[in-house]
Parts: sequence; structure tokens; C-alpha cells
Amino acid sequence: MNGTRAATAATWMLGGLVGLCIATMLGLLFFTLGSGLASLRPGTLERITLADGSSRLAEVVADDGNALLLRTSETRRLGEGYERVRRGDVVARSEPVDAFMIGLGDGRRVLGVGDDAALAAAVGSVGALARVVEVLRPNALGAFEGAGIFLRRLARFVATPPDASNLAGGVLPALVGTVTLVLLMSVLVMPFGVAAAVYLHERRGVGARIVRTAIDTLAGVPAIVYGVLGLGLFVHGIGAGIDRWFYADRLPVPTFGGGGLLWAALTLALLTLPVVVVSVEQGLARIPSSLRDGSLALGATREETLWRLLLPAARPAVLTGFVLAIARAAGSVAPLMLVGMVKLAPASPLDGAFPYLHPSRQFMHLGFAVYDAALASPDAIRGVPRAYACAMLLVCVVIVLNLSAILLRNRLRDRYRALES
Amino acid sequence: MPVNPVTCDPLSSSDLLRASARRRYWRGRVQRVLVAAGASFVLLGLFAIPVYLVAAVAASRASVGVDWAHLGLLFAGSLRATACAIAVALPLGFATAMFSAHFCAPRLRAWLKPALEMLEAVPTVVLGLVAATSFAPWLKSHVATLLALLVALPALLLAAGFAFGRPSRHDGWLPLSVLPLLCAIVAFGLWLSSRAQAPWIVPASPWNATLVGLALGVAALPLVFSVAEDALFLVPREQTQAAFALGATRWQALTTVVLPAAGAGLFAAALLGIARCFGETMIVLMASGNTAIGGFDPLIGLRSLGADIALGMPDAAPASAVWRDLLVATLALLASTVLLSLAAGFVRARLQRRLHAGAAA
Amino acid sequence: MSNSVTPAIDGGASVSREQAAGAAPALRTRALSLWYGARRALDAVDLDVPARRITALIGPSGCGKSSLLRCLNRLNDEIEGTRVEGEVRLGEADVYAPDAFVHELRRRVGIVFQRPNPFPLSVHDNVAYGLRLLGIRSRRELDERVEAALKAAALWDEVASRLDDGALGLSLGQQQRLVIARAIAVEPEVLMLDEPASALDPAATLRFEELLHELAGRYTLLLVTHNMQQAARVSDFTAFMHAGRLIEFGDTDALFTNPRERQTEDFITGRYG
Repeated sequence: MNGTRAATAATWMLGGLVGLCIATMLGLLFFTLGSGLASLRPGTLERITLADGSSRLAEVVADDGNALLLRTSETRRLGEGYERVRRGDVVARSEPVDAFMIGLGDGRRVLGVGDDAALAAAVGSVGALARVVEVLRPNALGAFEGAGIFLRRLARFVATPPDASNLAGGVLPALVGTVTLVLLMSVLVMPFGVAAAVYLHERRGVGARIVRTAIDTLAGVPAIVYGVLGLGLFVHGIGAGIDRWFYADRLPVPTFGGGGLLWAALTLALLTLPVVVVSVEQGLARIPSSLRDGSLALGATREETLWRLLLPAARPAVLTGFVLAIARAAGSVAPLMLVGMVKLAPASPLDGAFPYLHPSRQFMHLGFAVYDAALASPDAIRGVPRAYACAMLLVCVVIVLNLSAILLRNRLRDRYRALES
Repeated sequence: MPVNPVTCDPLSSSDLLRASARRRYWRGRVQRVLVAAGASFVLLGLFAIPVYLVAAVAASRASVGVDWAHLGLLFAGSLRATACAIAVALPLGFATAMFSAHFCAPRLRAWLKPALEMLEAVPTVVLGLVAATSFAPWLKSHVATLLALLVALPALLLAAGFAFGRPSRHDGWLPLSVLPLLCAIVAFGLWLSSRAQAPWIVPASPWNATLVGLALGVAALPLVFSVAEDALFLVPREQTQAAFALGATRWQALTTVVLPAAGAGLFAAALLGIARCFGETMIVLMASGNTAIGGFDPLIGLRSLGADIALGMPDAAPASAVWRDLLVATLALLASTVLLSLAAGFVRARLQRRLHAGAAA
Repeated sequence: MSNSVTPAIDGGASVSREQAAGAAPALRTRALSLWYGARRALDAVDLDVPARRITALIGPSGCGKSSLLRCLNRLNDEIEGTRVEGEVRLGEADVYAPDAFVHELRRRVGIVFQRPNPFPLSVHDNVAYGLRLLGIRSRRELDERVEAALKAAALWDEVASRLDDGALGLSLGQQQRLVIARAIAVEPEVLMLDEPASALDPAATLRFEELLHELAGRYTLLLVTHNMQQAARVSDFTAFMHAGRLIEFGDTDALFTNPRERQTEDFITGRYG
């Protein structure tokens, strides 16, 4: 009996650890999404009255139990309004209904109190020198208005470019850069990935074993090593060579000899190659051999069987590989830090000028925006919420991609079950 | 020659067919060559990495020797981060794998596996963000709480299992049914810690190996889980059925039959987890403070190989000694992870052969 | 398929019997042996398959019937470690000649398997698959040939209205007839069937046997079956195999009522299965 009790207890501990896993996952997800959304939510303005009689109109940005971090009005410079007050010094806090906030294009927030006429005057005077982005009374927002402001901020975040120093505005160039990068990368990786998977499926000899070991080894190489290869071999090696041969007149300003979209796409293509190969090969392997025999029996060559029957039948697996590769590329920051991703790209790699896609240009990336905003931002207090907003966007994209990969895989499984029955 | 009863001409005019047969044959051969060429690019890519690194290091004409002391510190830093990470990833990963393969209700497993795949998909930069900005301040004043929870959680779970546990059909849903208890323990621990006046253990820096270990462990957890689960599933069902037939409980079957048989697979999972942690860059970059200190203290910062490379390379001039040192660091990183990967692959292959030697009919 | 003219090899020691029509055999094997690795599956088989007749191949399970079929259209080439000795001729041509186009051989010697294996395509595209391989692109021509093949396989009436539906939605009997239509669309000379009705219910099996009779006038049929009653019902000639060897071959009625070999008689009367 004791053995059974011990066994049950151990099982409980096991189950508990799994529960801890699940809780961590969910917690992480909700925390990231929640923080991201919270950064876009309109907060309230408070009037803080201190012991010495002075009062501030400010947003309470942080509260660590001992002190409050306030952000007062920023009339001249971004970040000039931060102030730390001890909790003990605070005498009264109120939320004046007539407080208003004017958001400017460079991220500054001008705060004030007053009726509509005062608000209009303030907007007029501030607006003469800077671009006004939004005007609101945060303490008097109804539920619908608040939701409206939130949605508008979200739209602005996704669809507009950032201002200088990446502290305000949106992340559109980072989105465009990420999308362009993964599309260029897939053009590079899919043909080779499918070819390698087909090779592994068709052949069984020494060559196939070598390629398989190569794929498994490539899967284990750390991402940063690909970055080093990209920087050393592609950028400084091949890129410099291209510059010397074709763009010598532009030197010493590098065209392909510096980091850019092309080299980054190539680096990531190598990085995500194992993902594509494994996915496509699994898809091919699960096709029942009776189909293959049937095609051969009709007089098809092995290659015709492959291209006309097997690969089309494995289309969901190819798509899964594609989606997983994109998800991996969207989340890889480390190698890109070396090969062409920058904080603020001087020109977009995708624009209206022929040839529309400029693979030699530097680009911005959503993952890097997270890192940059969190750790390298001049205004750390603004940077972290912004980093969470970028992270939320990134996590949403990656989760949607992976969910579709899972759905595709389920459809594949059902299709094969129908074939085998 | 048979003739189709409809108006079409017979297909069998042999000249036409012979020409087309020849064309199709040669087209097939060309396609086969193209496929082989495409596959060989994979080999090219693989070999390009070490060949380039070694060649670049050898061709470097830097006047100064390699700074081995610095490299040693980086290596030690990576080791320290990895050690802290696998202390999180291995117990959780193994526990989840054992539960999923052996106890889990099928409906729960159908959600558990995709959920862990989702976790694997979360970009490490996001994990680094959460660790560095939100978790670090909390950890700075709650190290003792964390340690206490790490000890108390398994202990209290065991105790609760002894006290209230009865083998039941619903054991497959244990993670969910035990969740309230978990939350209660954590909440109690947090409440206790909030009563304390000052933190008992103060780390030198909020960015330290423990913080890195927690985030990195969560990042490596899905990999350890999936490899370990695969290994556990390799054990033929008949062996576990035999154990049940002899009266073993599920736990006893796990410990006496499955684990000994699949042990090598769990070892391989550990190796792969270590390789993953060793090579991870973003989390360490964001949460470790990037200070090159040696030693074993989990509460001080570190600088890993990957972080050093990521920080140093963009600005290093290709002909300089710094560049060459960074290449050597890359080689060290590559060699370590590849060796671990190869060892893990070798162990897994041997396990597969051993467990399925008889199943080859 | 290299159509070089080689002199026909003399029949010699085979036990073949020419039928009354006196036509040359469609397929001939001489001393055909097959090894799967070290295991010998066929032992010096000499078989003449008469043209445009139904020949049944019977024998206990594991005697090499399916292996023989797979040798005749070189499907065994796809399996690793197989070795073939001896000769197989399709008409005048050497099937195992080193410069033979295997895919063309397989067009001329079609095969239908035990379990129907329609492709995950529409009914029309299943039948058109082989035709497209041959370079037929015109939609009208494809449609005509598909209709002809489906009619010849006695399936047209049932699927005429749903040619674009998925083939996997048909019943097993319909799928097996679809597989036959697919095979005869490319105009083979020989059609081999490996226990084609074993997955079908009795009603479908009977319809299937009627179809075989219809097809026999146009194609040479080689039918492997474990059902002796079916062999007796359907075939004109029967070959009995045991442990990789061809024991006896002859007219079906004669073989079943008056077998020459003792082993044949034992098998037919059920002394071993």
C-alpha cells in the first residue's frame, strides 16, 4: 500500500510540474500581450499634491511601493518631465475631469487643465511648432471613446513610420522590412529545401546519409554562427567582391559590401533550411507507397511520379515548411544584428522606384525593434512599453503562423488517413 | 495491337511512343541531377561554415595573439548560464515528457503538445524582454522567495499527493486539477515575502545568471520535452502492458520499465538542451548584463560567447585582432554545439536500434 | 522499350500449351529466378502467357505469385536488394535488356493491385493521369479517351455525372474498376491483376468477374487469385505454383478435373492451403 501511496504522490508531483509548465506558458503569453496592449491604452492624469504644498499634473508611470515616478507635461523636449516623488510626501491625489493631454508627433505629451476654450488655445499654441497627433481628455473617457482611442493608437502603431530615435510613431518600416525579408528568404530556401527533401526521399545510399547528417547538424548550429558566416563570407567576402567588380565607382560607400536585405535573406535561408527539409520529407514519407506503385505501374518514370503525384499530394507539408520557416525568420534577431538590420534604415528596401526591391539596402526588423526599444532607447521609461507593443505584434504574427502550420498538419494527417483506408 | 473502340487513334504507333519514351527518360535523368545539385547545396552550406571560420582565422595577419583569457571567461560565462538554464529546463521538460507519454489524458495531450510548440515558437527576444525589464526588478528583491518556492513547490506537491492522492481515472488531468494548489502555494509564498522587511539575499546586479537561467530554461524547455517524449514513445507498448499485467501502477511501470529502456533518449534530450542553451544569444544578451566575470556564483552577471560575438562583430574591422578573436569564439561555440548535437544523434540512433531490433519484420 | 528485332528463343523444355487459335504467347519467361537478398522467391520459372486469354495463377500463399507479377513489369526494380536471373520477353523484346525503357514496359504491361489505390485526384484526372504522361494535352481528346476507358471498365454509367468528384469517394468496387480504367486508358498489351477482388464484397466480385470476361477479348489477362473457384470460373488457362516453382500449366478445365502433377491435385482438393 505504501508503494502505491508513494507512486501516487510522485504522480502528483509530476502533474504539478506539468501544471507549472502550463502556467508559465500561459502567464508569459498573457503578460506579453497584456503589457503590449496596456502600452497603447489611454491612462489617466492625476493631480498630485505634495506635503510642501506644490502640486503636479502628471501621469503616474511607475510605482514601486516607495516612490512614484511621474511624467509631467513635456513642453519643450521629450523626456524632460520625469520626476520621482516619495510616497510619504504625497498628501492628496485626484483625477481632475477637465484635464487634457495633447500628443505630438515626436512623442511628447503636453498636459493641462481647463475647459474647451483653454484646450483649443493650448492646441493652437503647441500646434504652431509641432505636429499634433491626438487630443483627448483621459479622465473623462467613456468606454466607447476609450476603445476608440485605443484602436486608433493601434492603427497608428501598425501603419505609420516612427519618428527620430524610434520613440514615437509606428513600426511600419519594421513590419515592411520583416515581411520583405521573409519573402526574399523563402524564395531562396524553398527550392533548395524541397530539392534536398526529395533527394532524401528518393535515395537511400551513402549520399543520402551524408545529406541527412548535414541537415541534422545544421539544425543544431546556433543562430549567431550563421550571422558570423553572413557577415564574414557574404558581406565582407562576396559583397566586397561584387562592389569591386560592379560598383567600383561608388566605393568607398558599400553597395553590397555592407549589410543588406540580400545577405540577411541568404543567411536566414541557410538557417531555416533544416526546417523546410524536415517538413517536406515527413510529408513525402507519409504518402502510402501504394500510390507510388500505382503511378509507376501506369508507366510513369520515378521523376514523373514525384513531380506529378507525390509533391502535389504533399502540398500541405510543403506549405507547413514554408510557414514554419517564416515564423523562425520573423523571430530570429541575433544573426540579423550582424548582417544588415539597423535601428533606423535610411531608405526602405521596398519602394516605388524601379526595381522596387532593393536587396542591397539595410532594413528594419520587428524583433530588433523590441531589443532596441527595451535596451538601447534614450528614454528607457518610454522604451519598455514600446518594446512590449512590438513584442505583442511579433508574438501575434508568430502564433498565427504556427497555428496555421498546425492546422495544415492536421489536414495532412486526415488526408493521409483517407488515402490509407 | 488493341484498338480503342472510340474514334481515337490507337496510341500504339511505336515510333511516336518510342520517341516520347526516350524524351521522358532523359528528362527524368536531368531532373534527378538537378535535385542532387540542390541537395548538395545543403552540404555546401554546412561545410561553408567551419571552412570559412578556420580559413579566416588562419589567414588573419593580426599582430597580437589570441586573447585566451578573455575567451576562457566567455566560455565560463556560457557554461554558467547553461548550468542555470538546464536546472530549469531538465526537470520541467522531463516531467512534462514523462507525464505526456505515460499518464496524460489523450484530450489533454492534444492541447499540451501544440501548446509547447507555441512556446518554442515564441521569439527569444520576447523572452529576453520579459526577463530583463519585468522580471529582473522583482527578482532583485525576491531571490530568497524564488529559492523557497523552488524547494517548497515539489515538496508540498509530494506531501499533498501523500495526503490526498488516490489513484484515479482522472490522473490524466492532474496538471489542471493540481493547478489551484499550485496557485495557492505561489500566492502564499508571495504573500509571505511581502511581509518581510528587507530582502534576505541581494544579488550584486539585477542581471545575473539566475535571471538568464530562468528565461533560457523556459526557452529550451520545449526542445527537451519533444526529444524526451519521442524517446519515451519509442519504448514498445507491449513492455508497459506487461508491467501492468504484473500489477504495477503507472508510476512503477514508468520507473521500472520505461525509464531504464529509454534512459539514453533522455540523456540525448539533455545533451540537445545543453547545446541549445549554450548557443542562445538574445536572452543572454538582454538579461545577463554582459559583464565578463568568471566563477560559479549564480547571482552575478556573465558574458557569453554568443553575446560577445553579437556585440563585438558589427564594429570590428575585418583585419583586426578583435575580429580574429571573435572568429575564434565563433569556432568554439560551433564546435561545442556540433559535438553535443552529434553525440545526441549517435545516442538516439543507438536507442532506436536497440528498442526496435526485433520490430524489423 | 527497345524494339530491336531478336530471334524468338525456342520454347524448349517449357510446359506451355498453345491454344487452338495458335497465336504466339504475349509474355514468356525462361528460367526466371528471383532473389530478395539471400532468399530465393522464384525458381527457374518457365511460363508462356497466351495472348488475349485469361490466365489464372494459383498456389498457396507465399509461393511467389505476386513476386512473379512484379518481375514481369520490373516493379521489383524499386525494391532494394532484389536480383533477377533468366529471361522475360514481351513479344519479341527482352524485358530485362540493359537499355530497355522501364517506364514504357510498364505502360505495356499494366498491373492492378489487391487494394484499389486511386490517386487523390478527381475520377477524370485519375484516368487521364497516364494519358497526360504520354503527352496528350487536348482536353477533347483526353475526355474522349477517359470516357472510352471508363466504358470499357463498366464504370461509365455510375460516374458520368461526377467525373470531377474525388475518386476516394467511390465505393471499393467502383475504385477497383476505376483503377482498371486507369490502366487500360494507356492501352497496355497485358493486364496483370493481383487478387483484385479480395477487397470486394461478393456482389461486386461477381460484377468484377464479368468485366474480366469482357476485357479478355482485347487484352491478355494474368490473374493471381487465392480463390480456386474464381480461377475455375473465370480463366481459360491456369498455372499452379508452389515454393517459387511453376508446377503445372494448362487449360483450366483440364487442370482442375484432371491435374497431371500430384502437388496440383493435392492443392486443388484442399489437402493443403
